[in-house]
Amino acid sequence: MTLTAETPRPTVTAAAGRARRPRLLPRVAPYLQAAPLTVALLLFLLVPILTIVAVSFWDYDSVRIYPDFVLTNYTELLTSPVTWKTYLNTLKYAALTWAITLGIGFTVAYFLAFHIRSTTWQMVLFLLCTIPFWTSNIIRMISWIPFLGRNGLLNSGLISAGIIDQPLEFLLFSDFSVVLAFVHLYALFMVVPIFNSMMRIDRALIEAARDGGASAAQTLWNVILPLTKPGIAIGSIFVVTLVMGDFITVRLMSGGQSASIGLMIANEISLLQYPAAAANAVVLLAVVLIMVVAMLRVVDIRKEL
Amino acid sequence: MTDTRTPSNLSTGVSRRTLLKGTAAVAGAAIGSGAITGFPTIWAQNIKNVTLRQFGTGVSNLNAVADKVKEDLGFTLQMTALDSDAVTQRAVTQPKSYDIADIEYWICKKVFPAGVMQPMDVSKIKNFDKIVPIFVTGKLTPDSAIAQGTAPHTVGFVEGKDSTKFAKSPTQWMTLIPTIYNADTLGIRPDLVGRPISSWKDLLDPAFKGKASLLNIPSIGIMDAAMVCEAMGEVKYGDKGNMTKEEIDKTLKIMTEAKKAGQFRAFWKTFDESVNLMSSGEVIIQSMWSPAVAAVRAKGIQCVYQPLKEGYRAWGGGLGIAKHLSGLELEAAYEYINWYLSGWVGAYLNRQGYYSAVLDTAKQHMTPEEWAFWMEGQPAKTDILSPEGKVMEKAGAVRDGGSFQDRMGRVACWNAVMDEDRYMVRKWNEFIAA
Amino acid sequence: MTAGSTVELVKLRKAYGATVAVDGIDLRIAAGSYCCLLGPSGCGKTSTLRMIAGHEDITDGDLLIGDSVVNDDPPAKRGTAMMFQSYALFPHLDCTDNVAFSLKMKGVAKEERRRRAREMLDLVDMSRYAGRLPSQLSGGQQQRVALARALITQPGVLLLDEPLSALDPFLRVRMREELKRLHRDIGITFIHVTHSQTEAMALADLAVVMNQGRIEQAGPPRELFNHPRTAFVARFIGGHNVIEGGGVGDAGRCAVRADRIQLGGADLPTEIQVEGTVRSLEYHGASVHLSLDIPGADEFAVVLDEARYFDAPVGVGDRVRAGWSRRDVHPLAA
Repeated sequence: MTLTAETPRPTVTAAAGRARRPRLLPRVAPYLQAAPLTVALLLFLLVPILTIVAVSFWDYDSVRIYPDFVLTNYTELLTSPVTWKTYLNTLKYAALTWAITLGIGFTVAYFLAFHIRSTTWQMVLFLLCTIPFWTSNIIRMISWIPFLGRNGLLNSGLISAGIIDQPLEFLLFSDFSVVLAFVHLYALFMVVPIFNSMMRIDRALIEAARDGGASAAQTLWNVILPLTKPGIAIGSIFVVTLVMGDFITVRLMSGGQSASIGLMIANEISLLQYPAAAANAVVLLAVVLIMVVAMLRVVDIRKEL
Repeated sequence: MTDTRTPSNLSTGVSRRTLLKGTAAVAGAAIGSGAITGFPTIWAQNIKNVTLRQFGTGVSNLNAVADKVKEDLGFTLQMTALDSDAVTQRAVTQPKSYDIADIEYWICKKVFPAGVMQPMDVSKIKNFDKIVPIFVTGKLTPDSAIAQGTAPHTVGFVEGKDSTKFAKSPTQWMTLIPTIYNADTLGIRPDLVGRPISSWKDLLDPAFKGKASLLNIPSIGIMDAAMVCEAMGEVKYGDKGNMTKEEIDKTLKIMTEAKKAGQFRAFWKTFDESVNLMSSGEVIIQSMWSPAVAAVRAKGIQCVYQPLKEGYRAWGGGLGIAKHLSGLELEAAYEYINWYLSGWVGAYLNRQGYYSAVLDTAKQHMTPEEWAFWMEGQPAKTDILSPEGKVMEKAGAVRDGGSFQDRMGRVACWNAVMDEDRYMVRKWNEFIAA
Repeated sequence: MTAGSTVELVKLRKAYGATVAVDGIDLRIAAGSYCCLLGPSGCGKTSTLRMIAGHEDITDGDLLIGDSVVNDDPPAKRGTAMMFQSYALFPHLDCTDNVAFSLKMKGVAKEERRRRAREMLDLVDMSRYAGRLPSQLSGGQQQRVALARALITQPGVLLLDEPLSALDPFLRVRMREELKRLHRDIGITFIHVTHSQTEAMALADLAVVMNQGRIEQAGPPRELFNHPRTAFVARFIGGHNVIEGGGVGDAGRCAVRADRIQLGGADLPTEIQVEGTVRSLEYHGASVHLSLDIPGADEFAVVLDEARYFDAPVGVGDRVRAGWSRRDVHPLAA
């Protein structure tokens, strides 16, 4: 390198200037290529979020909002026991839904990936899993109501079968029905990424584990589970963020008797308390981001992307 | 009263603004002449090109009304139905997006001071003198007591043409022209409650544990809750429509305890939810709106809109004009409002079990049998048909709660917005989250 | 290390639906020997290996390892260990944990199993990389780790599925030598699947040529080379000409080694002679390979010593006389 350091630099001449021109494009090109996405993100993600953050410091009364810089929205939010209770309740839903969808998602994906040998059947069964997604969230949710109700199909079935004498009240408008609906809505979000991760596992690894004396359970725990972690992480991010932000499921399935953060925000918006809703949204965003970052610290998902 | 139904859409597809360009000059000259007294007018031809955009809660946003407007007045009424929260929001935040607001009086209390609407000159309202006095003086008859809450007359007038300050007594400037109102009470399933229901406090009767429901619109739900607490003798209110913080706390403490004890099966927010809860038998006693009771009955399921000894919680709505309206459009709006009070709509609303603002004109559009059943509380002499022509009640049936005087004369409280609104909403949310 | 085990296949058969992959083969592999299963792709060699490994169900017949039938035993009970073609190292575990995997499955304590794994890595000269993940290793290094992982179970039989195919030619020769050395050092039975006859020649005590699910011939490489039983073996092993009649009248199909053929003029001393045209010519250093067009054979190869060729060089298109002795003619089974 010392040799080349001695070489005199070419002086910038008109010729060199001309020669540099075609070089400008390659330098700018990557920025140009990134520009549309950057602009889209700025416009549709960053600007709205910044607006929400700004509004969260505004003041309001029952009809209007006033540009200002007050912290009351945050102090009222964070000092209210309702907030804490509601967050706790929402986290409870998120945790339960996460655990159950993980169990179901892992089992279904495992079955599809490792027990169904033919690709055709894998595809057929996989599509079967998506059938509930052919209708809207709301319809899938509402369909539970006549099924689980006091005089619903399930209760009348159980009563006529002589299994119970009194209808089971906890089936509808309860935490049970909320979590049930969440699981129903979001299980596929867990199945897909886990299935994807599992399909990437070299089948020879399973044989290698068997060769090393691993039982089916040991293979599952020591080989499949660690290699499925990125899929689990992606699925978990989906499920947790969806549940944390939900309001309609909680409202419909709890019969309006339970609160979630999303519902709290929706209520505030409907009462024209935009700054309070904005503050709530900012806090929710922060909480969800922390959760996602925590999940990403546990599992490196870059391999899947 | 908040009722969500499919929004009607009668848009003509022609841009109203472009049409107006040509007519503005004519209209301007016409207004200048000050000779407007009603239709037919000299610009009856131009008015056909006007489209008025009305939005409001679903109850009075009826396709039939828009059709009839087109037929009688010639211009187009484009309707959007929203729930009451959305109506409030839109009225304040997007004042240019509507020409006529169909809102409730308690919403008016929030919206009008924001300066997005203009008061109406009562001299241009032909039937103003015949409007039910509840909306003018607050008294159904000269000796009745004024009910608590946001009584319509308290927000019915402002002090001047450009004022946003509500007047203490009637003036020439009216905020809303009343159109529709009713007295609400509890709906019950007589086949399942197993005993006569006579008081608001029955909502919290432990016998109905897990089978009661309350509506989850804070400003209305709190009223029902107050009716209950007052009936129980637990809380004494200065004004249920404008509670103190202490009264709010006490009321919601009682409701929270009931909730924790499992008294409520659900809280509902929309018309359909209340119908489904009742017809499926999940709930046998709940806050309810009168068309929801009719909807349950229409399914062949027994449902009664039970009169209670403490009286009713009433609500009323009216039409208001957006601030930006002027010229030909403003005149069209006045024509529409005059037409609204001229009887056809009144009869239509009365036949649905609501009440109309001008009774005399409505009566002219109803059969004597209909009038006797709906307004006088007499047993039906013939089958009673809905405005669409379906049988609503068989001959011999009696309206729940009886006559107009019995029902509107026993209003304990009007839907309201309180001074402690923000505090109340926070506490209400605590109650829901408890 | 444990001593090797004998492996015996009795009428071993593997069918996938109507397709027969292995068609009732019999084979006995002596304890401690190096056996190569050789054949073109689809010949059934890999299915055979996988049945021995226990990764494929046996459709019919018996598999004996040592003295017992192990048809239904899981791999770990058979005393076999397999080295996979792609090495199948666990991507989430470092080298030490990969090697220690089977010990972990047995419940050996962490310290103990990691110590033993490091010893095993030492054996394959990989201690330096003990903490690396498989993705940080070259193909040759991965193979050593895979070998260490297989050997840590102290198997009686090591099964190798095309272990050298993924390596570049230079590395392939080196690893071949190392496998041979390792086999000599630890003395267990090796069963090695390959499609390369060079590999089989270089490594095997017992070379088994398979074709269409059957064994064409099994024996020491030298026997296969000098006495190929069938035309398939002769062709697959290479270095042979398959000639109808073998130039000795009605002997049927015969094989003649290409390096036993002489070229010359009318003075050629051999009993059998044919005439043909030189089609192509390749210089290989120590030898020169010629291909001739002669009647009665599709391919006819001649391998000449470099010196001998240059005594009387011929060119492409020349008419030449080729000849061989009667004793170099091997009749082939039909």
